[in-house]
Amino acid sequence: MFDMIGNIFKNLTSKPATRAYPFKTRKLNDNVRGHISGIDAEACIYCGICDKKCPSDAIKVDKANRTWIIETYRCIVCGECVTVCPKQCINMEKEHMTSSTKQDIIVCKGSPKAPKVETEKVSVNA
Amino acid sequence: MLSNEKIISTETILNEVHQIKDDGYRFVSMTTVENPDLTIDLYYHFDREYQLVNLKLTINKEFELPSISKIFLAAVFVENEIQELFGVRFDGKAINYGGHFILSDADLENPMCRNQIVIEQMEDK
Amino acid sequence: MGKTIIPFGPQHPVLPEPLQLKLVMRDEKVIEAVPAIGYVHRGLEKLAEQKDFMKNIYLVERVCGICSNMHALSYCMAIEEIMGIGIPDRARFLRVIWAELHRIHSHLLWLGLLADSFGFESLFMQVWRSREKIMDIMEATAGHRIFISTNTIGGTHKDLTKEQQKDVLNTVALVWDDMKAVEKVFFNDYTVQHRLKGVGVLPKDVAYELGTVGPMARASGIIFDHRTRGYAAYGELEFEPVVETDGDSLARTKVRLREVYQSINLIREAIGKLPEGEIFTPFKGNPNGEAVIRIEQPRGEVMYYVRANGTKQLDRLRLRTPTFANLPSLLHMLPGSSLADVPVLILTIDPCISCTER
Repeated sequence: MFDMIGNIFKNLTSKPATRAYPFKTRKLNDNVRGHISGIDAEACIYCGICDKKCPSDAIKVDKANRTWIIETYRCIVCGECVTVCPKQCINMEKEHMTSSTKQDIIVCKGSPKAPKVETEKVSVNA
Repeated sequence: MLSNEKIISTETILNEVHQIKDDGYRFVSMTTVENPDLTIDLYYHFDREYQLVNLKLTINKEFELPSISKIFLAAVFVENEIQELFGVRFDGKAINYGGHFILSDADLENPMCRNQIVIEQMEDK
Repeated sequence: MGKTIIPFGPQHPVLPEPLQLKLVMRDEKVIEAVPAIGYVHRGLEKLAEQKDFMKNIYLVERVCGICSNMHALSYCMAIEEIMGIGIPDRARFLRVIWAELHRIHSHLLWLGLLADSFGFESLFMQVWRSREKIMDIMEATAGHRIFISTNTIGGTHKDLTKEQQKDVLNTVALVWDDMKAVEKVFFNDYTVQHRLKGVGVLPKDVAYELGTVGPMARASGIIFDHRTRGYAAYGELEFEPVVETDGDSLARTKVRLREVYQSINLIREAIGKLPEGEIFTPFKGNPNGEAVIRIEQPRGEVMYYVRANGTKQLDRLRLRTPTFANLPSLLHMLPGSSLADVPVLILTIDPCISCTER
């Protein structure tokens, strides 16, 4: 009976155990894998390593046309592409991917490669 | 080759399994693998005090094997599953699910085997 | 006196995953019952033959949501045995830490569902509130609450810094205190004893003959725990398997609750003994050969058979999960019980049907 009084007192004076969502949200860590939101199109060299390593074939890279396409609903958010990218240019966001009625495909297009400048060989007379 | 592997033939299965049960082993599972030349390797796994004993059997697909569920009741579920996924028939199972243990009615026959699927082109009228 | 057939259908509030039983009853007593599965068959073993063997780690992890890290661990151990790769010491201890965190979360989930099955909803909510602390620490160290993807062939991807190790120790200390408060209700409460004591008794010789594994076997008196064989870093940690002898549902609850304490002690010991060094050995080439690996998942003993033929794709991947081995014990326990006990009995085998059907 005296345990009960202690319990009642504790329940009346302590804060609620739940958070007032959606007015207050949880703070997320930095290394949380939420969803992929795109790449930095100018830094990417279109090598295609992320295309080969993706376990669910969600990324398609076209080197000739300089495009990078991801189907976001095939992505399983494993983080392999972020780890193996040689230029570290894939962005991983922290928020969880929300549902939608049609599939979202993100297309990133880089500027075409600058043509190589021919340098003339100039001979110098000694 | 697995360690502790013993190759047996189809006539001696029931005797070997009886012997293993008398020695005090426990049934673990059965594994089926299809070889490139379309025969089937069947492994029986038993365990006692953390030591695994494997019995290996190689058969053709049309052969009908005796069921060991009268000796080990625990084998009845995995025999039904092998019958549905690979097409190997077992004779005398304690509970017979008749083709509906794991697969539904709309699935293909024996999906784990290398089937030849022929797609015919329908003429457009 | 006629018989009625009641379908304990695939959708039921107490089941975490779909399982159908057609119960043949006479007047509140079950006469016979045969389980039927097949509602979540995805054909994962066939898909694993068509993908790269490195990409299969992510596929195998998604067989089940509750024991996902241990599936990836056993797959990596099987490929490492075929190719003969040795892993560094720090990686072995890190694998133990994440595996034990997963074991705690699985047992806490089960304890909550058991309390819900006999109607004690406030106990269910209390236990799942402690489980949220474990999910938060997994998100803080590995990036995701369930599919933590830390294991890879040759070691682990991720490391634990000193800050993160302190966070893990603080969290498990809070979970220890929560479980001490809840333990009194599970073991000594009058109504809980009425629902669990003497229900579904499985004697020791029947359990051995039907091939039961895991906490179900340990609650009937069989001393069988694969962690004593010493894979990963378990050979260097000290612990004893938790065994009870009664064989009824109360004994299974006691085994699983005491294993939560055992896991917390293992985590503390592993963090104390964590050596310095690399976490990953690189390797080249494709596997060629076959191997059988068995480890201890939260529900029991899992067996993996892998056969590879020298190309990037495997020849065969076969997994036999512990719930598949515990299903025949339902055939023994259900006949003779009353209808109100059927949900409790099905939950005591810890059914993970998506593991069973892959």
